[in-house]
Amino acid sequence: MLFRLAFKNIVGNGWRSLINMLILTIVLTGIVWMQSMYHSWLSLAERQIREWEVLQGHYQQNSYDQYDFFSWEKSLAPIPQELSKAISEDRAVPILLSPVTIYPQGRSIYALAKGIPPDQKISKLPSQYISHREDGILPAMIGKVMARNSRLGEGDTFTMRIRNIHGTFDAVDIRIAHIMDCPVPALDLGTIWLSLDELQMLKDADNYASLILIDDPDLGTKSYPEWKFRTPRDLLYDLEQVKKTESGQQVIMFIIFLFLAGIAIFDTQVLSVFKRRKEIGTLIALGMTKSQIIYMFTLEGVMYALFAVLLSGILGFPLFYYFATVGFKMPEGFEGYNFAGLSEPIKFVYPPLIVIYCVLIVLGFTALFSWIPVSRIARLKATDALRGKMK
Amino acid sequence: MRHLFCLLFAGAIMILGAQRPDPQQLLKEIDSNLTSNSAKSTTRMIINSRRSSRTLISVNYSLGKDKAFTEYTSPPREKGTKMLKLKDQLWIYEPASDRIIQISGNMLRQSVMGSDLSYEDFMEDTELAIAYTAIISGEIKHENRDCWILKLTARKKDTNYYTKTLYVDKERNVPLYEASYAKSGKLLKSMKLSDVRRIGSRWYPHKLQYKDELKDGKGTEFIFENISLDLNIPDHIFNRAVLRK
Repeated sequence: MLFRLAFKNIVGNGWRSLINMLILTIVLTGIVWMQSMYHSWLSLAERQIREWEVLQGHYQQNSYDQYDFFSWEKSLAPIPQELSKAISEDRAVPILLSPVTIYPQGRSIYALAKGIPPDQKISKLPSQYISHREDGILPAMIGKVMARNSRLGEGDTFTMRIRNIHGTFDAVDIRIAHIMDCPVPALDLGTIWLSLDELQMLKDADNYASLILIDDPDLGTKSYPEWKFRTPRDLLYDLEQVKKTESGQQVIMFIIFLFLAGIAIFDTQVLSVFKRRKEIGTLIALGMTKSQIIYMFTLEGVMYALFAVLLSGILGFPLFYYFATVGFKMPEGFEGYNFAGLSEPIKFVYPPLIVIYCVLIVLGFTALFSWIPVSRIARLKATDALRGKMK
Repeated sequence: MRHLFCLLFAGAIMILGAQRPDPQQLLKEIDSNLTSNSAKSTTRMIINSRRSSRTLISVNYSLGKDKAFTEYTSPPREKGTKMLKLKDQLWIYEPASDRIIQISGNMLRQSVMGSDLSYEDFMEDTELAIAYTAIISGEIKHENRDCWILKLTARKKDTNYYTKTLYVDKERNVPLYEASYAKSGKLLKSMKLSDVRRIGSRWYPHKLQYKDELKDGKGTEFIFENISLDLNIPDHIFNRAVLRK
């Protein structure tokens, strides 16, 4: 009966009810959109980092510290025999690091040279471009951001100065063979990719590597004296931290959205209770308890939210469908954030758990904001209500 | 007849040998001219960048190969900046931040005050005769001085520059030009030495011009305004505490 009464009241409220529903629809659609965007972006970033950089984990030379640039020069060791076999079977790929100075157009720029086998297949890095020397000039590959920062283009040549493992300077001419569109900034920023063999030769470090990326989880179970293993979880630690930070930011956005919707509901309920004083008095006189009346008014508020869920499904569908199929391309300026997942359109996915979570949050908040103004009915005397008095 | 040829050949070798000094001995002579047990100097460093040039004046102390101290006295922006080298460690004190920073690893590759010299170059202290083997490859007239052309090859694998070419003043045993090459043979750095003056028993260049040959620009000039060699320098100059004084 209460449900029917609440429904009739909503219908009777006419435009006011519709506006409330539309506000809640916009809020719910916005929250679901935002949640899905963050989820899809971070999922895309994780996938890209895994495919390009992390794979199934890394063996890192013991001295290597990814946060300490100064450790990279000395982070190299001979590749263990067992891993050499895995490399030849395309189950692992070695990478050698070396800080270098490059001199494009007479400017000096500090960079990090990374050597990778050009014929490797397990990382998405397009290393095939750095396989052949032309006219004795070493081919190199850089990312778009590095190209922009260093003002280098495909076909540009310059000199690179490097120190070998003994400390002697060497210098070699380099040609940019390819500028890659790399979604993982760590593989792009300040990095110049060369053939592993060539870099090993320049470093006088035959068969040495700094990192060994593995594509077979079984390879990560062994330990080698000069190497430490880092699982994908270790390597994705930064991303996990970003997820935590982002969820904190989302809570703030959530609160702002819900506050806006809450004000609309709150206002409607206050007005509703004021306008329907005599109705409340009559219902009490007819034997309805105050709790039942509060429940009925709260139910009205919650029903706004239920209708909003329905409307979000209908009105929001084209929007959700568009972002799921075409995707959302971050504006150009966002590349400066140097974070994975921003280089290609983010195609939204809507995991049921996220949708249910958003719906429940909106329902809960609507119920709360509906109940607060009507809770004063508990203090109302039936006689005052019948006379249209409200204390 | 054969004996006559042998005699002529041996004679020619003896004459040539008499004309050309022993290259290794020549390196020792260069080292004895350019290195000293201790030194105190005031230098003017003129850094010529692409767009402008600026001059820094510093007071420098050195003791043997392991200890060196520099304090910049001009311009006002750099005044009070100090550098201390103890063996293979280097510290810098900047008065603006009142902090002492140890320069290590890749920071050693960065240029000193924007000059063509890196901290590594500043730290380099190996004597030529120890680090390189030499051959005399010819003669050249350089800056109106008769010079030997010396080709140097590193003795050890850990030498910064694998080969060097020096033009050495025949009379004074002082290099007037030095070119440093990468292992591939590419010219990396050059140094012109001039204004060679007598200090006691040695000849010493008072003007040096460094040039990073891979970089645009006119290089960096070093001018010794005054220099005293083999003098007593108190130990406290080479103490880390002096950086903050």
